Amino acid sequence: MSRNPEEPVYNRIEEARVALGLSRQDLADKASVHYQTVGYLEREEYSPSLVLALRIAKSLNQEVSELFSLTPFKKGK
Amino acid sequence: MKKLKDAKKIKVLGITVKPKNKIYWFEGVTEQGVKSLLADENSKFKWLRSQINRRILVILMALGLIALAMGSYWPTLKTGSLILNSGAEIAIYSVTAIFVIFAVLGGYSLLRISVRSIADAPDELLDERQIKVRNTSFRYAYYAMGYVVLGLLSLMFFGPELQMFQPEGNDGSYLVIATLFAFASMPSMVMAWRERDI
Repeated sequence: MSRNPEEPVYNRIEEARVALGLSRQDLADKASVHYQTVGYLEREEYSPSLVLALRIAKSLNQEVSELFSLTPFKKGK
Repeated sequence: MKKLKDAKKIKVLGITVKPKNKIYWFEGVTEQGVKSLLADENSKFKWLRSQINRRILVILMALGLIALAMGSYWPTLKTGSLILNSGAEIAIYSVTAIFVIFAVLGGYSLLRISVRSIADAPDELLDERQIKVRNTSFRYAYYAMGYVVLGLLSLMFFGPELQMFQPEGNDGSYLVIATLFAFASMPSMVMAWRERDI
């Protein structure tokens, strides 16, 4: 799916997932999505719905605001 | 979306029970069939996943559909040599037509596999991104079929005027079959063409 260039949603899913030692498939199973969807999310090519964002945040033991942002995350933060 | 890794067999009171494979008659898919494709359980078709291979398949499918549609016309094209006179010519024409129909049918099956049946799967078997991808594919397929039907109507309207075909011997049956195949396969064709990763 093509990315919406007007309103990208930045995220730190990959960073949080790797920190927990999860594979894309592990996260996909926890969030009940296909593993390709996790890839699209991590590449910021797909903006999730609020429900999916909440599910992913819960799967990664994080708050939605820590994981998703309308502005790019600063590196290392 | 239901868990993709649902066990194929479940144990109830110590007895192994195979869950019922739900058939979605309207969509023409089965629950296990879609889940199996989504979970990459059949590695035999992994070569179909790359976008370049999917695009080649779409081109071949389009050519197959055009060949099938022309099946209604090529016996009556004004070339002289293709007019069916003898029994042998009719037999060759019929065998070729059957071969093309089966080739298109095979192409249609491969196309569905190449997009993991996402284009035909019901909402409950897909995640939200896949549902959006499927819906977008249907939107573009609708536009594409509009042009296909416009082309067919133009051919029907202007064909006799241009005197491309001889009027006799053309019942249009292959044209109808090709159009039906096009309607069935267009969403998968659009998806196979557009999506980078399926």
